Amino acid sequence: MKQELFQSSHDEEWSAFARWLQLRARPKGRERLSEAAGVFADSEFPAAYRRICQQLALAEHRGYSALLIQRLQDLAYRGHLVLYRPRAPRLRRILDFFAAGFPRLVRAQWRAMTVAALLFFLPLIASIVLLQVRPELVHTLFDPGQLAQFENMYDPASTAERIGRESGTDLKMFGVYIFNNVSIGFRTFASGLLAGVGSIFVLIMNGVMIGGIAGHLTAIGYGGPFWRFVAGHSAPELLAIVISGGAGLQIGMALIAPGRRTRGRALVEAGEIGARLVLGVFAMLIFAAFIEAYWSSLVWMPASVKFSVGGMIWLAILLWLWRGGRGQDSVE
Amino acid sequence: MLDTLTLVETPEGIALQLRSAGAMPRAYAWGIDALIRVAILWALAAVIALLGESGVGIYLLMVFVLFWFYPVLFEVLRDGQTPGKKVMRLRVINANGTPVTWIASIVRNLMRTVDMLPFCYGFGLITSLVDTHSRRLGDLVAGTLVVYAEPAGKQSAAPNVPVVNPPPGLALGERAAIVEFAERAAQLTPERQQELAALLPMLTHGSGALAVQRLQGMAGALLGRR
Repeated sequence: MKQELFQSSHDEEWSAFARWLQLRARPKGRERLSEAAGVFADSEFPAAYRRICQQLALAEHRGYSALLIQRLQDLAYRGHLVLYRPRAPRLRRILDFFAAGFPRLVRAQWRAMTVAALLFFLPLIASIVLLQVRPELVHTLFDPGQLAQFENMYDPASTAERIGRESGTDLKMFGVYIFNNVSIGFRTFASGLLAGVGSIFVLIMNGVMIGGIAGHLTAIGYGGPFWRFVAGHSAPELLAIVISGGAGLQIGMALIAPGRRTRGRALVEAGEIGARLVLGVFAMLIFAAFIEAYWSSLVWMPASVKFSVGGMIWLAILLWLWRGGRGQDSVE
Repeated sequence: MLDTLTLVETPEGIALQLRSAGAMPRAYAWGIDALIRVAILWALAAVIALLGESGVGIYLLMVFVLFWFYPVLFEVLRDGQTPGKKVMRLRVINANGTPVTWIASIVRNLMRTVDMLPFCYGFGLITSLVDTHSRRLGDLVAGTLVVYAEPAGKQSAAPNVPVVNPPPGLALGERAAIVEFAERAAQLTPERQQELAALLPMLTHGSGALAVQRLQGMAGALLGRR
């Protein structure tokens, strides 16, 4: 068949396909339920797309001109983008992910998570203990200005209405915590791509810093307000840092030791796991910021309530990570 | 190595032709997006100043969303195009040619943290210069490509001239070359067309404008015109 004949016998079909793409590729909200008038029904689109593909293959095989092939290529590509569009996330799947998928993923990466936990909690505990024995070492970590600021925030004699901040409303501090902590969580993960070095560095640094503040305030007798402040949000916040560090470490490991996969393939797979982990970290950090802004800072709440709530949150999160999604089939 | 064309085979058995975009247009697109984001924040700051202390909290939340989620939301919900990419006619897609997914978009945008190092997207630039598809680190990890959203050059139809029957026995490639010559007529100066036609004296039996017209006539015959 000569090209002109081929073209004239299918021209109408191609124009209809192009028109459908224009109308239906991304319909506006209220048009979503209606079909494209005067072209063809949405349910006929896959068949129409396959015909275009077949005609493109024919045209290439028969050596038709570049002009025609380009037109068909363009139609096929636009159709491809519509047909293979990602599904919109459904609430059920999102809930399933947080209830089961995420804890399961954390357990599946237990090696990276254990290493991350050690890299974070060992320096943290070590610096708390060390500062009880040799309190003067705190000056190697912080300069006097910073120390004065911390001491001011947690001074037991202070008459401020809120613990853990110098000023600011709850909403302001919520914004500050989200902006700082979540960004740190994201960066801890991403910097793992540098062969894991970035994540290791962030984990150790954060461990030393947090341990340094805790140790120093305890050593000078300001421990009361400080521990009451951190009791509530410490579980989601510290564990989220560990998990994002672990997510970074596993991506670094994929780069260093891809195993039987190509390095590119290993990176893509580790990237997907990492992104899922980071979604969970994101949720945990929002939860932490919420507690930190609205609960942890309450002065009048008795210490016993704060510590028992804090302990319960630790238990609940560890239980969630340990048991969540057990005994179910993976839906991923 | 120099050709940016990527062929992606689809389940339907055809090869999609994608042209990956280099660092420059992508940097422009990023710049446009950055300007938009700064403008939004600037407008927002004016409104939020009225809210006092709590306004700072809302403002920081907006900064956070604009910084981390602006590209992800646009890429997934707007066919792989942030406003900047739309202006530069670029599109983010998965390496298999399908529209970019949530997870892939999240990964490639989180990895900007590393691409930005040590300064001014240095790592990203180096990687995209080395990589065949000019992907930055984030694209490598996410398995995505940034491609041109539209085909490179639009070709015009072969000019309508009296049909000349070509000699029998032309190979497929030769026939394709003649047709393509005719379809590119609009992109070539008359002098260049004549120069090219003069390469085939045995076929055209003429010279100058006549040779060009005969070749175009043969193209017409090959296309099936009468």
